Amino acid sequence: MAVAASARAPAQRDPLRTIVVVALWFVLGLFVLYPLACLLVRAFSDDAGFTFGPIVGALGNPTHLRALRNSIVLATLVGIFGTAAGFLFAFTVERTGMGRGLRRMIDLVILLPLISPPFTTSIGFVFSFGPRGLITHGLFGMQNAQVYGWTSTLTAEALTYFPLAFLALRPLIAAIGGDLEEAAFSLGGSRWQVFRTVTLPLTLPGIGNAFLLIFAASLADFATPLILAGNNLPVLPTDAYLQITGMFDLKGGAVLSLLLLVPAGLVFFAQRYLVERRSYVTITGKIGGRAQGAAAAAWVRWMLWAICAAVTAFILYLYALLVYTSVVVAFGANESLTLANYQVIFTEGIPAIKDTLIIALVAMPLGGLYGVIVGYLIARSRGLGRHMLEIVSMINYALPGTIVGIAYLIAFNDTPFALTGTATIIIACYIFRYSPTGIRTTVALLQQVDRSIEEASFSLGAGTLRTFYGVTLPLIMPAFFAGLGTVFIRAMTAISATIFLVSINWTLITVRILENMTEVALGPAAAFSVFVIVVVLLVTSLLNVALRRMTAPSLHVARLGTAS
Amino acid sequence: MSAASSVGITLQSVSAAFRSPEGGEVAAVRDVDLAVRPGELLTLLGPSGCGKTTTLRMIAGFQEPSGGTILIGERDVTRIPANKRDIGFVFQSYALFPHLNVFDNVAYGLRMRRTAADAIQSAVAEVLALVGLSAFERRFPGELSGGQQQRVALARAIVIRPRVLLFDEPLSNLDAKLRVDMRTEIQRLQHTLGITTVYVTHDQEEAMAISDRIAVMNDGRIAQLGGAEELYRRPASSFVASFLGRANLLPATVRECGGGSVVLDVAGTTLRVAAATPYPAGATLNVMIRPERVSLRSPDAGLTGEIVRRTYLGEKVEYAVQIGSTLWHVVRADPPEGETLAPGQRVGIAFPCDGVQLLPR
Repeated sequence: MAVAASARAPAQRDPLRTIVVVALWFVLGLFVLYPLACLLVRAFSDDAGFTFGPIVGALGNPTHLRALRNSIVLATLVGIFGTAAGFLFAFTVERTGMGRGLRRMIDLVILLPLISPPFTTSIGFVFSFGPRGLITHGLFGMQNAQVYGWTSTLTAEALTYFPLAFLALRPLIAAIGGDLEEAAFSLGGSRWQVFRTVTLPLTLPGIGNAFLLIFAASLADFATPLILAGNNLPVLPTDAYLQITGMFDLKGGAVLSLLLLVPAGLVFFAQRYLVERRSYVTITGKIGGRAQGAAAAAWVRWMLWAICAAVTAFILYLYALLVYTSVVVAFGANESLTLANYQVIFTEGIPAIKDTLIIALVAMPLGGLYGVIVGYLIARSRGLGRHMLEIVSMINYALPGTIVGIAYLIAFNDTPFALTGTATIIIACYIFRYSPTGIRTTVALLQQVDRSIEEASFSLGAGTLRTFYGVTLPLIMPAFFAGLGTVFIRAMTAISATIFLVSINWTLITVRILENMTEVALGPAAAFSVFVIVVVLLVTSLLNVALRRMTAPSLHVARLGTAS
Repeated sequence: MSAASSVGITLQSVSAAFRSPEGGEVAAVRDVDLAVRPGELLTLLGPSGCGKTTTLRMIAGFQEPSGGTILIGERDVTRIPANKRDIGFVFQSYALFPHLNVFDNVAYGLRMRRTAADAIQSAVAEVLALVGLSAFERRFPGELSGGQQQRVALARAIVIRPRVLLFDEPLSNLDAKLRVDMRTEIQRLQHTLGITTVYVTHDQEEAMAISDRIAVMNDGRIAQLGGAEELYRRPASSFVASFLGRANLLPATVRECGGGSVVLDVAGTTLRVAAATPYPAGATLNVMIRPERVSLRSPDAGLTGEIVRRTYLGEKVEYAVQIGSTLWHVVRADPPEGETLAPGQRVGIAFPCDGVQLLPR
């Protein structure tokens, strides 16, 4: 019998729950709504009060207008190429009968761009395609090759972000395999017809979603254009940054960052719409078994493998180059092996390393806990409060980092909440910006946990708190760890928002990498990057081991909730 | 496990309202008064949507009534949360904690009560022996069959010696044969422990087999409360008559009444039956006759019709007989071999007068 819409569930009147909800809204107000409001007030006011003047001025400025246009065109192109590459990889891995070893290998390589600090691809591009580049000069003997501009920015961003599309599309393509395609084959469709009439239409919402993910990532990308775009390709995030750090024009930077708000907002709502509609694929797909590589003809298979192998090899090459750069004196000039670069980062780089690790290790548990608590409240409550929580907790994640960074800079510079220059502001930025992964995973897991499991705990005498950590938390442990991992990775690698928040007291490795890049100290920049990648790999492996230890063996056997 | 001193459960004009998707309020339970006697097993029986599960969940404290009072013993628990009501609840989905093994599942409630470790050890061992799962302490729920999971759920609910036991369709996920075994076991345990029990089911046979008393619910209200035999033999309404067993219900009009009997127009014929209460002439009501009280005879006089279906079920045969616009159900127990009645054949029907009951329309 359906009892889904009870007018009164006693749990919702639990005093503990009320306290948590009130506290949550307080921090969300302080770290999400308040900074955004400050940013808007700053952008839409002058001494005389409310005005559209600055925005109108920015839109009238040809340079800024060009930056806006460039940002959108670049994001669109990166979205298209990245989604295509992601689909191709997902299809190849899932549907061409690829061996286990190769799939593992591709999984690993594709993970690299997701856990690397910014500039990693850029450094590789500069060394490969620059005037003294390994490929342009070394391989083809070109003189004065030009690395800066559209082509390399576009390629570098597409390489960095296509794993997002891969991760989003892979489960869909795997699910559509099996029964659905076999049904189409049994009805007489050829491979190409089946792909065109079944596989593609069913993945279309997923493809749209993947495109939007990459579009948003590229729109917000600050690091790649800063290095690779050059003078002829101004984009909004870098423009806003230079406006503030170069010209000390906070208001101008705020206005520029706000121009990003419109496309970012559109993407956010388009994505919500798509994700809500997508469910039919996952529902149908659950039934089917994995298809046995019947989806493509032999020559198509070989072609797909060749393309994937080439891209994979290129990514591996970029990372090899990064490691090589970090262990030679000066790439392209004096290539004798040395540990000097590591000496640099472990002496004068120590403050940045220490600060980054402290911030990441503090943000990680807080962000993980915040993620499961918000996810729990979203999954286990109803009505307006739930929707508000869902949207507000997503805002800082959906906004480009530049907007968040500038908003924090404006909001926390003065009383009553003067936090500029503290570690708190950086930690808060990471928690509220990077916990949505944990939130979403929690909601998804809880939707599979029968509510009666929690009721059983109540009926046996446990209160809300005991039930949460005795029953609910163990069942959503994977989500907690997903949240921990994401917050840690981002805290080690992000720059777009926090570059506005670092100070003499608290700085970050990524900011030091940027400084090294601008000082053309590429050796230390590469060494820092390698260090970050190693730390991230190490910590995520530890988290995986811990997760396996902490999840009861039964959870691998039992289906959550309906153990039947 | 010794029998606990039993308490009753009292519901005083309890209601439950739900918010409908359109924004209005839908009443799931309306002004229900119910007194469960100490130590008895009372079943809430009804079709889905009748309010039986909602009523049970309000007794448990998973939902708050929108009106009325709930007492467990002398204690008003209306606003007391579930974890402070001292109840044992057995769920339709079993709701075993998938991350805990059988021992820890059963021990969960005892740990919440801060029972000493050695006492937990012996209590869990004792209750697992009671449900026949002694060897399964270290297994996880995912490694058990449906029936075993149900026993663990039962053990987990009774080990805390709750003041009341509540069952929400506990057997509906089991296959038919296991269902019969388990209901016997639940009944045996309930009798041994003497814990006041409310049991929700939509299966009338299960309800009749297991209950001391049955409350038949319909549309958020209790339609009738009584023992299984009483409900079957003397249903208070057409709904109860047709929900508990099968019934032939025929619309009838009172022609005249007097002298302890009533003359009715039923399906084109006239019928005289005994009536304890007088009915005014022209009143409309339903005549109810159980299928097993109807017998088939040769089609010479009285009610005659055509057999449209014959279903052979081993110990009995069921016939559907079309008479005028009404389809009659007839059951013949222990059918003789070589019986020749078949669809298409014309037959007459007969029933004794004491097999006829008058119910409000």
